[in-house]
Amino acid sequence: MSIVQNKKELSNWYLPGILGGLFITGKHLITNLLNPKKMPTLNYPEEKFEYSPRFKGNHVLTVKKDGSLRCTACMLCATNCPAECITIKASEHDDPTVEKFPISYEIDILRCVFCGFCEEACPVDAIRMGPEWQTPGVNGSEFHYGIDRLAYRPALKGGIQSVLDDEERHKAGI
Amino acid sequence: MAKCTINGKEVEVKDGTTIIQAMSGEKQDWQHGKVAHYCWHPGLSVAGVCRLCMVEIEGNPRVQIACNTVVTEGMKINNTSEKVKDAAKWGLDFHLINHPLDCPICDQAGECGLQDQYMEFGKYTPEMSEKKVKKHKVVDLGPTVVLDSERCILCSRCVRFTEEVSKTNELGIFNRGDHSEIGTHAGMELNNKYSLNTVDICPVGALTSKDFRFKQRVWYLKDAETVCNGCSTGCNVKVYFNKEGMFRVKPVFNKDVNSYWMCDDGRDIYKFVNKESRLLKAKKKTTGGNWEEMFPGAAAKELSSTVKAAGDGLALVVTGQYTNEEYEALFTNLKTKKVFHWVNSPEKHNDFDGLLIRGDKNPNTKGLQAVMQKHGITPGNWADLVAGLQSGNIKTLIVAAPEIAAVYPDIKHRVSEFEKAHNLVWLSSTKSVEVDLLTGNIWQIPMKSFVEKDGTFVNHGGLAQKFKKATTVVSEALNLGEAALLMSGAQIMVKPETSPFVETARPADRVTLENRKKNEFVFKRGTL
Amino acid sequence: METKLLSEFYHIDEYRGLAGYKAKGGYDVLAKALKMAPQAIIDEVKASGLRGRGGAGFSTGTKWSFLPKNNEPRYLLCNADEGEPGTFKDRMMMERAPHQLIEGMIISAFAIGSKKSYIYVRGEYFYAIGVLRKALEEAYAAGLLGKNILGSGFDHDMDVYSGAGAYICGEETGMISSLEGLKGQPKLKPPFPAVQGYLRKPTIVNNVETLAAVIPIIRDGAAAYKKFGTEKSTGTKFFSLSGNVNKPGNYEVPLGYSLKDMIFKLGGGLKPGRKLKAVIPGGSSAPVLTAEEAERATLDYECMAQMGTMLGSGAIIVIDDANCMVDCLGNLTHFYHHESCGQCTPCREGTGWLDKIVHSILSGKGRLADIDLLVKVADNMKGRTICALSDAAALPVLSFVQKFRPEFEYFVREGRSQVTGKTKEAVHGEMHH
Repeated sequence: MSIVQNKKELSNWYLPGILGGLFITGKHLITNLLNPKKMPTLNYPEEKFEYSPRFKGNHVLTVKKDGSLRCTACMLCATNCPAECITIKASEHDDPTVEKFPISYEIDILRCVFCGFCEEACPVDAIRMGPEWQTPGVNGSEFHYGIDRLAYRPALKGGIQSVLDDEERHKAGI
Repeated sequence: MAKCTINGKEVEVKDGTTIIQAMSGEKQDWQHGKVAHYCWHPGLSVAGVCRLCMVEIEGNPRVQIACNTVVTEGMKINNTSEKVKDAAKWGLDFHLINHPLDCPICDQAGECGLQDQYMEFGKYTPEMSEKKVKKHKVVDLGPTVVLDSERCILCSRCVRFTEEVSKTNELGIFNRGDHSEIGTHAGMELNNKYSLNTVDICPVGALTSKDFRFKQRVWYLKDAETVCNGCSTGCNVKVYFNKEGMFRVKPVFNKDVNSYWMCDDGRDIYKFVNKESRLLKAKKKTTGGNWEEMFPGAAAKELSSTVKAAGDGLALVVTGQYTNEEYEALFTNLKTKKVFHWVNSPEKHNDFDGLLIRGDKNPNTKGLQAVMQKHGITPGNWADLVAGLQSGNIKTLIVAAPEIAAVYPDIKHRVSEFEKAHNLVWLSSTKSVEVDLLTGNIWQIPMKSFVEKDGTFVNHGGLAQKFKKATTVVSEALNLGEAALLMSGAQIMVKPETSPFVETARPADRVTLENRKKNEFVFKRGTL
Repeated sequence: METKLLSEFYHIDEYRGLAGYKAKGGYDVLAKALKMAPQAIIDEVKASGLRGRGGAGFSTGTKWSFLPKNNEPRYLLCNADEGEPGTFKDRMMMERAPHQLIEGMIISAFAIGSKKSYIYVRGEYFYAIGVLRKALEEAYAAGLLGKNILGSGFDHDMDVYSGAGAYICGEETGMISSLEGLKGQPKLKPPFPAVQGYLRKPTIVNNVETLAAVIPIIRDGAAAYKKFGTEKSTGTKFFSLSGNVNKPGNYEVPLGYSLKDMIFKLGGGLKPGRKLKAVIPGGSSAPVLTAEEAERATLDYECMAQMGTMLGSGAIIVIDDANCMVDCLGNLTHFYHHESCGQCTPCREGTGWLDKIVHSILSGKGRLADIDLLVKVADNMKGRTICALSDAAALPVLSFVQKFRPEFEYFVREGRSQVTGKTKEAVHGEMHH
C-alpha cells in the first residue's frame, strides 16, 4: 500500500504538529472536566463493568440435587479443549445408577484460554463458564484447580445445580 | 471357484464362500466395499441375527443378508443402492430404539459399532418417542467381565464364543423378545482363561473388562502391533498406549499362530512394561554399602573392567525372554564357555491346554537354543553353576533376568544362589524385590522391555515372528546387546531415547493441519 | 352346508378309541396304502392338489418331493402347535379323532420313508396330549405302530412331544429347535428342513389337518378329492369361526365356500342390532377385510391372495361395529410383542415399538405422526427377518391402519375411541411376567 506524504512547506516546521496534538488533548481534558458523566472510563474498583450472562469467566463444575458432582468423566471437555489443559481421572462409583464419576478433575488455569469449548462439549451441563474473573494468584499458588475449587469454592455457596438431571430422564423412560 | 460381480468389480472366490467373506477378505480389509455388520465374526459360526449386512442381489426382489448367502456363479451383488442403504439404516434404527444414552459413561465410545454406523448413515433424527426397555446394569459376570444388559444388542457373539471357541458354555440368552438378556447359566461364572476375548468381540459396551474399565478414553490411545511375551505360543497382539504408559492388549489376527484370540494371562503383560514395575535407573551396591543410582550406560561401561578382570571366571545366565538379535549380540561380545540356561518349571514345558496357553512361559526358548547352537555353545548343568559359585571359580555372574518374574516361581531360590557370586550383574527390565535385598557387589542395569525394541521371537513351533518397536517407557534403558557391547569394553555412546512417545510413520498419527481439518468438531462448527 | 369329509364321525364318543375308530372303517386305508408303492402315494397326493392346511398353503406333494433321494434317516414332524390366534381346529381333531391323525401320519411316513415321527403339541393342550398318548398306546398294542406294521415290513415309531407356551415353536424350524432340546428359536433358511432339519437330517413338517387329509385322498383317489373345492384350491378345510357370531365353532366346508354364507348361515349371523364391520379371514397374521370385501369373498387361496390377504390357518374372526379397531389392533400387537423370540433385531425391537405406539394411542396420548410411524415401522419389519413372525406382526398393523384410518385419526385427535368413547389405560405396553 502506498503512503501519501503531505509535502507542504509548513509541515517541515515541527511546531504546528506539536500544537495540533496539544490542542486535541486539551479539548478532551476540558470536555471531561465539564462533563464527568460522559467519560468512557470506569473508576475501577468502585465502579465495575456488568458483563453479559454469557461471559466466560472462571469455570464452575455443577452438582446434582444431592450435592455430588454432576460430571460423569466422559472426557469430552478434555478432548475438545484446544489448550489441552483439562486432566480427568475416572473411577467406578458404588451406586450402579451413577456408575462413572471423576476422582480427579484438574484444569491448568495458566494454560486455559477461556474459550468455552468445554462448556459447549459437555453433554450433561457439568461444566460452565461462570461470571467470576478476578482471581489472581501469586507465586506459590496452586494453578491446577481441582474439584474443591471448581465446584465447592465459597463463592458458589455449596454448589450450583445442574440443569440436566438423570433421574428425570430415567423416569421419562429415555 | 465362482465368479461374481461385487459393486461392479469382478471377483473370483472359492466355492462355499459367503458374500460377506468375499467382500472382506481374510484380514477383514474390505477390498470390495464395506458391509455394516454386528453379529458376524470370521472366527465364529454364522448367526444372521443383526440383519444389518443387507445386500442387493440381481434377480431377487428382497434384500438378502450377506453373511449367510453363498456366492454362486454369475451373482451380481450390490450394496451401494438406495434400497440397501435404507434397509441398513432401518436395521440400525431398530438397534438404537432401546439403547440407553450411556455414551459418556461407556468405555466403548470411540470404537463402538453403533456410533460408527450412526455417523456413517448421516446422523438421522430418531423417531422413537416411547419409553425404552429397562434392564439390569453393572452385572458382575465373573472375575474379569462386567455386563450391562441395556447396551447389549443381542448379537450373540459372546454366547457363540463360549460355545465354540472356549467350549465352556457359560453364557446364554435368557427371556424372550424385548426382554432378552445375556447371562451365565445357573451356578456358573464367566471365568475361563479366554473370557476377555468376549469383551473384544462385543461390538458395543455391554461387556467391559474390569481391568480396563474407565481407565482411559479410547481416542487418547495409540496402538502398535507386537508379539506377546507371555508364553511360547507367541500370539500376535496390539498394545494400546499413550504418554502415561500402556493400558491394554488386544489380539491381532494371525492364521498360523493364534487366529483371532488370545488368553487372559497375556492381557496382563502391559503391567510389566509400565513405569510402576520398571527398573528406572541402574543401581550399584558394594559390600557393606547402600544402593547407589547411576546412568545405565555409565554403569555398563564401569562394568567392563570387572568383566575383563574376571577373564575365565565370567559366567552368563540367560532366560528365553529376549530377542534373537539380542542373543546374537550377547554371545558375540561376551565370549565365555560358562553359559547356563535358566529354565522355569521344565516339567511344565510341554503343557498345552488345547487352545493357546502353553506351559513354557518364555517367548523365545527356541530362538535362544538356535542362537546358542549357532555359536557352538552348550549350556552347562545348573549344578556346575552352583558349584562354581561356591568354589569361587565363577567370579562374575551376568544374569539376563526374566521380564515377567511372576512366571519364574523359583526366583527367590535362584537369587539366593546368585548372591554367592563375587560380582553379580542383574540385567532386568522390571524391578526385583529379591535382588534389592541382597548384599555383596551387585549391579542392576535396566533393560528395554519387549515393546521398546525391534526383534524376533521364535515360537514353540519354530515360527520366527518379527516385531517392531512400539514406544519407549524408560528412555535410558539398554538393549541386552548394547549392554553386552558396553560391558565388553567397546567405546561407544548409547544415547537414551529422545522422546517417550514415538511418532509413527502413519500420517494419521501426526498432528498436521490436514488431520485437524478432518476433525469436524474443530473446523466445521454449526451455528451457535 | 358343511361337507363332513374328515369330521363325519366326530360326534361319536367311541370314535376316540381304537375300537370305535375301526368300526367306522378306520385303518382300512392304512392297509390299502401299505400295499402301494411309496412314490405312488406321493404322486397321488401331488395330483390331488392338497395344500398345507397350517397357514402357508404350500403344495404338500411338492414339499414331500423335495426330500433327497438317498437312504439317510428322515423324520416326519406333525405341527400341532396351533399357535395362531383364533385357530382351534387341530384341537378338535386331536381330541375327537386322534386315530385319524395317527393313521394319516403312518401313511405319510410310509410315503416319505420315515421311521420316526413326532407330534409336537402345544403345552396348553394337555387334554389333547393325554388323549393322543392313550391312542398311541392302543395303536402300539394293536400292531399298528412299531415293527412290521400290519405285516408289511414297514417299521415306524411315533411319539408325542409337549411344547411349553411359545407361539414361535409353531414355525417349522423353531419347532425343530425345540425338539432338539435347544431354545425354540428359528434357524436360518437355507438350509431348508427338507434337506437339513431335525438333527440335521431331512425332515418334513406338516400340519395336523394336512396329514389327516391324506386318508380320504388315498381312500377315494385324487380325482374324487379334486371334486371338492376350486381348481387350484382343492378339497375341504376346517375353519374356526369365532368373534361376534352367534354360533362360533369349527366347520368343515369345501374350499371356495362363500365367506358370507360361513358367517351368516353356518355361524348363525351377528347379534341383533349389530352390523358387520371387519373380518380377519386367516388367523391374526392375515390382513383384515372390511365388511364390504368380506361379503364378496370366497374361502380359497386365490381369492384371498387377490384381495391382499391370505387364507392362512382358516381362523375367521368376525368383528362387528361395537368394537373399536384400535383396541383390536392393541390386542394383536400385544400378542406379537409377547411372542417374539428375540433373535433378530427388526422383529424383537419392532414388535415392542409397534405395541408401545398403539398403546400410547389407546391411552389417549397419541400424536398424529404416530399413525404414519406405525406404517413406516411395519413396512421396514417385513421381509427382513429370519422367520415370518415379523411379517405376521407387521401385516395386521398395515391393514388396520390402511382400512380403518379414520378411526385412528379420531382417537389421536379426540383422545378417546370413536366407537366406545373411552381410552384404555396403557397396562399392556409394559410386559407382565
